Amino acid sequence: MLFAYILRRMVWAVPLLFAVSLIAFALISAPPGDYITSFAATLSQSGDIVDQARLDALRERYGLDQPFIVQYFQWITGVVQGDFGISFEWQQPVGQLIWERMALSVTLALSTLVFTWAVALPIGIYSAVRKYSIGDYIFTTIGFIGLATPNFLFALVLMYVAVAYFGADVSGLFSQQYQDAPWSFAKLVDLAKHIWIPVVILGTSATASLVRVMRANLLDELHRPYVTTARAKGLSEWRLILKYPVRIAINPFVSTIGWAFPQLISGAVITAFVLSLPTAGPLMLQALLAQDMYLAGAFILLLCCLSVVGMLVSDILLAVIDPRIRFR
Amino acid sequence: MIQDFKSLVSTRARPVIARFMFGAAVLPFLTVSAMAQEATAQAPALMEMVEAGNLPPVSERVGEEPEIVEPLNAIGTYGGEIRTGLRGSSDHNGILRIVGPQGLVRWDPQYSKVIPNVAKSYEVDDEGKVFIFHLRKGMKWSDGKPFTADDVMFNVNDLLLNADFAPTPARFTAGGEPLKIEKIDDYTVKFTFSAPYGGFLAELAAPLGQNPVLYAKHYCKQFLPKYNDNVEALIAENNASDWRNLFLQKCGDLEVATRWGNPDRPTLDPWVVKEPYVGGATRVVMERNPYFWQIDTEGNQLPYIDQLVMPIGADTESLLLAIIGGRIDFGLRHIDTPDNRPLLAENREKGDYHFFKASPPGGSIMAIDLNLTAKDPELRKVFNQKDFRIALSVGINRQEIIDTVLLGEGEPWQQGPFEDHPYYYEKISKQYLDYDPEKANELLDGLGLDKRNGDGIRLLPNGDPLRFKVDVIPTFDPTWVDTLQLVQQQWAKIGVDAEINTLERTFFYQRTSESNEHDVAIWNAKASWVPGQLPHQLLPVSHDSRYGIPWVEWYESQGQKGSEPPESIKERLRIYDKSRATADADKHRELMLEIAAIAADEFEVIGISKALPTYGIVKNGLKNVPEAMPNFWSAGTPSMTLLQTWYWDK
Repeated sequence: MLFAYILRRMVWAVPLLFAVSLIAFALISAPPGDYITSFAATLSQSGDIVDQARLDALRERYGLDQPFIVQYFQWITGVVQGDFGISFEWQQPVGQLIWERMALSVTLALSTLVFTWAVALPIGIYSAVRKYSIGDYIFTTIGFIGLATPNFLFALVLMYVAVAYFGADVSGLFSQQYQDAPWSFAKLVDLAKHIWIPVVILGTSATASLVRVMRANLLDELHRPYVTTARAKGLSEWRLILKYPVRIAINPFVSTIGWAFPQLISGAVITAFVLSLPTAGPLMLQALLAQDMYLAGAFILLLCCLSVVGMLVSDILLAVIDPRIRFR
Repeated sequence: MIQDFKSLVSTRARPVIARFMFGAAVLPFLTVSAMAQEATAQAPALMEMVEAGNLPPVSERVGEEPEIVEPLNAIGTYGGEIRTGLRGSSDHNGILRIVGPQGLVRWDPQYSKVIPNVAKSYEVDDEGKVFIFHLRKGMKWSDGKPFTADDVMFNVNDLLLNADFAPTPARFTAGGEPLKIEKIDDYTVKFTFSAPYGGFLAELAAPLGQNPVLYAKHYCKQFLPKYNDNVEALIAENNASDWRNLFLQKCGDLEVATRWGNPDRPTLDPWVVKEPYVGGATRVVMERNPYFWQIDTEGNQLPYIDQLVMPIGADTESLLLAIIGGRIDFGLRHIDTPDNRPLLAENREKGDYHFFKASPPGGSIMAIDLNLTAKDPELRKVFNQKDFRIALSVGINRQEIIDTVLLGEGEPWQQGPFEDHPYYYEKISKQYLDYDPEKANELLDGLGLDKRNGDGIRLLPNGDPLRFKVDVIPTFDPTWVDTLQLVQQQWAKIGVDAEINTLERTFFYQRTSESNEHDVAIWNAKASWVPGQLPHQLLPVSHDSRYGIPWVEWYESQGQKGSEPPESIKERLRIYDKSRATADADKHRELMLEIAAIAADEFEVIGISKALPTYGIVKNGLKNVPEAMPNFWSAGTPSMTLLQTWYWDK
């Protein structure tokens, strides 16, 4: 039954991905002008001049003078064969550029996820069980501040404080000597020394909201009759809470896994930008700004695919946990 | 040129521009040659390699005729690195400005004359059609292979004139025909134009004028089908789409980021790529070129500095933080806005740096271009009346703008070089500057715009209110939008309704320069008509001439496209062509002033205030850095001050 459900969902994903690719390409073609316009505008800003003949020749070479549907067809036939095209700005194959940065993005996103859960769950449980205690109020206050502060602002403030009062540099993921060094144990340690700052910054608002979700869910469960029954039967308080109500309250967390996938790329664009993190987000933003369409297109396509896959994964997980979804 | 720049906060708008003259280009058959001197000293690391037998001795490496450079203040010592900041995307010219464009000729540090560079000397014939360049004997590429006339021939014939690779840039054509090149011997090349082209040397000295010596033939020829039958194999191996893409990947081009992306490409630069500028890079590192061909007056091979480190920050704020934190040794690009100045001044001690002064080449911070070829017929008619433009100009209270937006630093100014410049022309810079709303109202009434609606806005002859959009890029210069808000209020008082239309850069460019959809557009008029600059606010010669984009197209296509400009513009274009051809500096000046006189009579462009000098930061202890330098793109600031002569005081 479960297998048939998964198969059905996967078959549906194919036309969905196709539609998504068309939308992705339409999106990157939508802004006025193209890479050449943006290129000429950049030159113009630095005070230099390119003549129109040169621009026209470039436009023709890159195929930017073709109608939309022709461009899309050329792009998608390449993509299906694993060729994402050449980035105009970097003159490098797009696939190569993206994978270079994805590894760090995934590391950062996973670390943030682990951090968020590790902090949010215990605090959420504590806040619910000790409702309206001093501890609950403190965590609630911190939680609201965390929710209300944009990550990038927090990053900027932290960077300024670090530079102004401690003379330390908190941007980037590596110290200078390891930046372009090959991977080694020492480089890994260096990464660990740096990565906690973006993790904390990125994790604050997610942690805050998860704490609130956990607290609210758990509060709903704590007064159910089965809890009273279990307590009456003499189960120890912490074991009782962790074994029954928490397991049910944790359900919504599972559905958020689906959203976590696209977050790998887009979740931290501005924060990564501010902190100069070598992750995928800033590269995507630059590609969009420069209208480097194949690079931007590949990113958007990847985002959409990750969303589709993420939803699939979280649906399957929910189906595994909750039989009602499976049978419907 | 160089003035004390100690009282930094109270900087005046007073210009520090040297005499921008054509200098060497004036003298026909002038030969500038370097004194013969032996290179005797080199960086310790290189010395070790020579002693170990891994590198030829320094005198052999720099060749028989190295250029002898006199450092600004003192002979330097070897070692250390210079750290500068780059922005994540499209900042390849940030690297170019530090490393320097190594063309056949270059501008001197004051941007006053063109001097020999890669070429040891040059000759120009009387007409300005024939240019002979003498190369340096024994000069080497950064991989130690000889640099000869064959390399120049390769660059010109196989790439510059190869339409299959890219169209020939306009700066290498004269009279509609591209240059021709001839090899006289291994160290002499002759460039010939079919029409006089006196401005050619200045174009060659421009940051993007180094095409003739950009590529090393022995390395780059393998990517051309002409020289390599198996180029297809290389294309497949590098995942390239065709040979052009392969060539750009490996050898780059001017204005293409991959120019700094391949550590294997031999160059003539003082530093060569060690950690490349590629998508996803977090920094660029360049290390000294052991074969660099300049030495100081005591025979020490340049550069003094071991390596350049350029971290790539995604935004300007992180660059500012890095400066305050003392992690940047030289900064100018991206940071030199008025609002960053207090912050940077306050942290001078903590960051251990001081300021230097960066001067624009004259002109106005902001020019208002009314579109004289606007698509709306009513507006076009109104804009084309000189009295209307005068009314708008005297309807602006420039002093108020200077006192508030510019924090008191400025002087009412239309456009053009400042008073102490040989190209200064009083009328075009100073006419119609006095605020006189009464006169403005009188002029507008006189144009038949005397009816007003309920809001006090004048009505056009067809009954519509006199309303237009002013297109502006808010991120380009933060003072523009603030200035416009005042202008908008001041114009409302004379019954003119201007709407500020802020646009993203690319959209602005597309709406104005590409499709001519705009009513009014804002741009700077800093690049005035001094040699090496395009006089785009004087006559329609570039896509920044937003008062007449179809005229630019008409001029560029020699009458094939666009629309025919009025006689006054055509006359200016004719004189401009003459000025481009002339090799005589006095004649050039005379012709440009003639154009300025006509432009002053027509009064097409409205300016606001003199362009202010900006500033950059330099770490204390970094020596031979001038205290003031001209700052604009044609000069490639700061590269014309020769970073290879900078050194750390120990």
